[in-house]
Amino acid sequence: MNRMLLSLVVCLLLILPLPALAAPSAIDQVRQTVDQVLGVLRTKGMDETARRDQLRTLIRARFDFALMSQWTLGPYWRKADAAQQQRFIGLYSDLLEANYLGKIEKYSGEKVNYLGERVESGRAEVQTEVVTAQAHIPLNYRLSLEGEDWKVYDVVIEGVSLVRTYRGTFGEIARKDGIDGLLEQVAQKVREQKAGAGPKS
Amino acid sequence: MNRFRQTVLALLLLLVLAGAGQARAEEPFDAGPDPFAAEDAKLQVADPLEPFNRGVFWVNDKLYFYLFKPIARGYRVVPEGVRSRIGNAFTNLAFPIRFVNSLLQLKFRGAAVEFDRFLINSTVGLGGFFDPASNLPELKAQNEDLGQTFGRYGIGHGFYLVLPVLGASSLRDGVGTLGDVFLDPWYYTGLTWAEQGGVKGGEIVNWLSLDRDTYEQIKRDAIDPYLFIRNAYIQRRQAQVDQ
Repeated sequence: MNRMLLSLVVCLLLILPLPALAAPSAIDQVRQTVDQVLGVLRTKGMDETARRDQLRTLIRARFDFALMSQWTLGPYWRKADAAQQQRFIGLYSDLLEANYLGKIEKYSGEKVNYLGERVESGRAEVQTEVVTAQAHIPLNYRLSLEGEDWKVYDVVIEGVSLVRTYRGTFGEIARKDGIDGLLEQVAQKVREQKAGAGPKS
Repeated sequence: MNRFRQTVLALLLLLVLAGAGQARAEEPFDAGPDPFAAEDAKLQVADPLEPFNRGVFWVNDKLYFYLFKPIARGYRVVPEGVRSRIGNAFTNLAFPIRFVNSLLQLKFRGAAVEFDRFLINSTVGLGGFFDPASNLPELKAQNEDLGQTFGRYGIGHGFYLVLPVLGASSLRDGVGTLGDVFLDPWYYTGLTWAEQGGVKGGEIVNWLSLDRDTYEQIKRDAIDPYLFIRNAYIQRRQAQVDQ
């Protein structure tokens, strides 16, 4: 019986992730994703569509768009029904992705410095800076620990939070035009972006 | 044999449990309370002049696309390194604004840093065209102005304001910008207002020539660029005041 217990424990150790012991590091995970993204951006002669697809995969793996959606709508999240929530997550993911892709595709060899991390009960902020010829631009990632993975729920550039900026804007639109009105306007924006921004504009 | 069977059973059970655990992870993750709710009120600004502000915003948009941007694009024939140096020189010259406002906020270390930066960059940096001070990590540039000084002493924005050409501002920051004019060395050069305006226009064009389409990107990303910039502006100013 003892032996069985032992094998059980061993199995448990092998199968179940142990966050307390493994303690995944937020800064390491961000660094890993950023390095992969920069690797893709630095690869020369890559087909633009293939590049976008690779970047998209990397971003989707590290960002929690559902969580970002929830916190962007804030008080309006609870007012929306399940169908509206799902529709918003889909549309907003496209918008955020286009936003982030647009920013990183301007990359032209700038160095990224990792300044440190602040971790507090399942949340973390990883501080980085992008060094350009003109300035050091502070760029912080806010993350939430989900099992083994730190997932980005906000990007803060020079003190301006992406989620908060959209939250303020969307809140005002939802107040004026209702949640369906907001959904329609986000859908319109996504259509515009898809029509306007080809692989390279 | 019995024990073997039991072990196999336990293993199977574990596999099933592990599978169930994975299935559960597919559902939306509950990450706890909304971290943005607490600061919602603090980062809002009254905008009673919204129709007027949107008008100025519209004019600025046209000025950007049909006046400043084309000039900046043409001006890009000047090598980037040179334009970057010119930007440095403008920044170096505005030293009194940062120095005095550091003092007004009782940030004596910040004031000393700015003083050292000015001394080093004006001499070793050949009149501010180079920025050798930034090679020293302890001499990080201090961004201070009168609007931030007001904010430091608890004065709020009052209301949001879009200024012609200068763009996003507020009652508080607008008054600050006006006050900072008297700390700006250009004010004491004896140039007429029109000439000083020309210098400021040149500074804007130089800066725009180095910028990589920030405004264009905002217009692409935002459903309502006016609201987007208003929100971002209030956040950025709050971050600067908190620094």
